[in-house]
Amino acid sequence: MNFFENALLLDIFGGLKTTAQHLFFRKSDTVQYPEQAREPSDRFRGMFRLDEERCIKCTLCAIECPINIIFIDWHNEKNELGKNEKMLDRFDVDLKRCMFCGLCEEACPTVPKSIWLRTKTYELGTYERNDDLYLDINKLTTWDDKVRPFTIVEQGE
Amino acid sequence: MELSDGFINYVLIPAAKAFIFINIMAVMAGVLTLFERRILAFMQVRKGPNRVGFEGSLQWIADTIKLMFKEDIVPTKAEKLVHFLAPVLVVVPALTVFCVIPWGPEFTVRLPLLGRITTGGYATDLNVGLLFVLAVTSIGIYGIILGGWASNSKYALLGGLRSAAQLISYEVPMGFAVVSVILMSSSLSLVEIIEAQRRFGMWFIFPGLLAFFLYFLSGVAETNRIPFDLPEAESELVAGFHTEYSGVKWSFFFLGEYANMVTISAIATTLFLGGWLRPFPSVQALSFLDIVPGAAWFLLKISVFMFVYIWFRATFPRYRFDQLMALGWKTLIPLSMGNLVLVAIAALGGRRGLNTLGTILWTLFGVSMILTLRARSSRRSLAARTPIVNAVPGVLEVSR
Repeated sequence: MNFFENALLLDIFGGLKTTAQHLFFRKSDTVQYPEQAREPSDRFRGMFRLDEERCIKCTLCAIECPINIIFIDWHNEKNELGKNEKMLDRFDVDLKRCMFCGLCEEACPTVPKSIWLRTKTYELGTYERNDDLYLDINKLTTWDDKVRPFTIVEQGE
Repeated sequence: MELSDGFINYVLIPAAKAFIFINIMAVMAGVLTLFERRILAFMQVRKGPNRVGFEGSLQWIADTIKLMFKEDIVPTKAEKLVHFLAPVLVVVPALTVFCVIPWGPEFTVRLPLLGRITTGGYATDLNVGLLFVLAVTSIGIYGIILGGWASNSKYALLGGLRSAAQLISYEVPMGFAVVSVILMSSSLSLVEIIEAQRRFGMWFIFPGLLAFFLYFLSGVAETNRIPFDLPEAESELVAGFHTEYSGVKWSFFFLGEYANMVTISAIATTLFLGGWLRPFPSVQALSFLDIVPGAAWFLLKISVFMFVYIWFRATFPRYRFDQLMALGWKTLIPLSMGNLVLVAIAALGGRRGLNTLGTILWTLFGVSMILTLRARSSRRSLAARTPIVNAVPGVLEVSR
């Protein structure tokens, strides 16, 4: 039987059949990246995001940061009830050194987290790293106006 | 000014035809690269180049321009003259062969200055056309060997030597396969072979199926194409004989390879698929197919072969070198000799003998095709037949 199969070149024709099926019946799996992109999963770890309202200025994220790239300054201010309230002077993240370890997010005691990385933005390339990748409080809370809105893969072109 | 007939017939027309054929050849090689990349991509469930022009249709022009402007690097210790000559030695024979390849039957045109001219759809019809083709294509291998040697690089030298060994091994079965066609056509002229197929009423692939397989397989091996691309095996020899080449010289090797592919396809078409003839040239019921010009049939058949080349490339992994030699010497050469004997005996019996041989071969081929098409994954699927076991015994115990 083995000789019979070899003499009739069944293995060779079988291989050719497989590739022919790919040619005619399989659609390309390629995603044309700049025009299309796949949506990352929900637990995707992307760009930073800070919610100033939720933040209690405890500086735990800055303490926990292994390379100390989070810089927080605050002062006390009397609010309308006459109590002291912490006000942020500065909340900077030196993103160009960040390794996206997520320890700051883990350390954050508020529920829900006030600093988190689970955004779906990963297009962080810039031409000026010192200007664009050093995020102050404004940039941290408003960057999503500036990045390209996320496109979901459409089938075909 | 009155031009003499001799000048027109022996200088002007051949020169014009040579010019046309060489340009067709060069453009074909370029377009082929595009088709190859696209079809290969589809077979590998990719998209391939689709940016330049409509769906990447101008990619080959962009590639050509890029190659023209690349820096031409010659290694310091290379043999400069041979290093320069080797690519030329590859391209010139590959293009020369095209002067004997018949694209169509004789035709008559009216030209403004020259009047009515009757000429063949081929640059020339040599009475030893087939020998000429075999001889000239073999010269191209010198270019590869010399290029490999002159680069002063181990990889390049190994590639060149492999190419030489491969050519010697596979030229023999190819020769035998060609001889079996000569037995059927009793002529070496390519035009005459096509006419013989018209008289026979059937393409020679019918009685010569085995010879056809042998010829095409040896052809793939001789053009150094996958699965026989040992001379330029990138996982072993970087790029083989053209490791040290760049720019236009490299593109000459490339052009030579594709030109050789077209040549092998064209000869296979001429010998086995009836050249410019329509399918079943003797059946009157199909005579409406004659409105398609002969050159179009020829181009169509060549395209089928080129597709098969690309198909092979997408399908088969590369042979190991000893496997390559074993296939050549232990399988193909005995097979081609046996085939020669069979065809010779059948040819003694004239048309009936050849028809009998053809019927037997095509029955076997049909059985093989039916088995292949019927084979679902159940026949081949190892996963279905093999029980799943712990692949590396002991690993689980250690990790505990």
